[in-house]
Amino acid sequence: MTKKYLLGLVLTIIFIVSLSIPMVPFPQHWYEFPIIPGLEEKARNIFFHVPMAWVSVIAFITSLVYAIQFLRKKNSLDDIKSASAAEIGLVFCFLATVTGAIWAKFNWGMFWNWDPRQTSIFILLLIYGAYFALRSAIDIEEKRATLSAVYAIIAGLTVPFFIFVMPRITTGLHPGSGGDPNGNGPLFQSKGMASNMRVLFYLSSIGFCLLYFWMWNLRVRIQKIALTQEEKSFHE
Amino acid sequence: MYEFFSEHQLYIVLTIVLICWAGIFGYLVRLDKKIQEVEKSIH
Repeated sequence: MTKKYLLGLVLTIIFIVSLSIPMVPFPQHWYEFPIIPGLEEKARNIFFHVPMAWVSVIAFITSLVYAIQFLRKKNSLDDIKSASAAEIGLVFCFLATVTGAIWAKFNWGMFWNWDPRQTSIFILLLIYGAYFALRSAIDIEEKRATLSAVYAIIAGLTVPFFIFVMPRITTGLHPGSGGDPNGNGPLFQSKGMASNMRVLFYLSSIGFCLLYFWMWNLRVRIQKIALTQEEKSFHE
Repeated sequence: MYEFFSEHQLYIVLTIVLICWAGIFGYLVRLDKKIQEVEKSIH
């Protein structure tokens, strides 16, 4: 339990610190952020928007791993784990899209620009939306689990391409797109990010990842109880 | 509204933080409903 309180405390501190550290042109202390031209205060969004996308990738990969596990062992618990991970992944993917759209409005002028990353995350939302459409369309439990596991594997394999490959090889508005003079890769890898911002960014990413694993754990445990209850009533 | 946000950019960040929080809260509400369903089936 203390671990969860600690996580709550760390996330709260991240929320407060990332919003309240002053931004100055020439930072002299560790508690000052540099002003990034063009981004200014909006640069703080990176502590929230990017971890959302990261967590969704981790969730989709977890879903893929447990889908493989299910096909190997045919254990319905793996199906629950895979579906729960995809569900939470979809929530975070949606949050990354919405927060990104708001940021885009103030940096690029429009909520939606069909930038490579925006396009790829939109496709990911569709792919995982279809996953739940597939799950709800099949009534027979075993068939649903097997088919959705196969789908989750195929969907999971597209994730690295959409998140890591496609936005880097095509030119776009996001930093680190193909043709960006600062190099191919996200902002936090480039030299443009101050070290204290980088530390906070990594802390925030780790914090949100741990939050995801906790949410996932809760979801799996509930579903597990429901499953044993169903089995009990079936035997009675 | 656009002008207000452009002038006070910290509020954009605050909006984004609150959206993240609202999304996570919404998921917790869903989870709560699931627990209620399971509880009903147990009793």
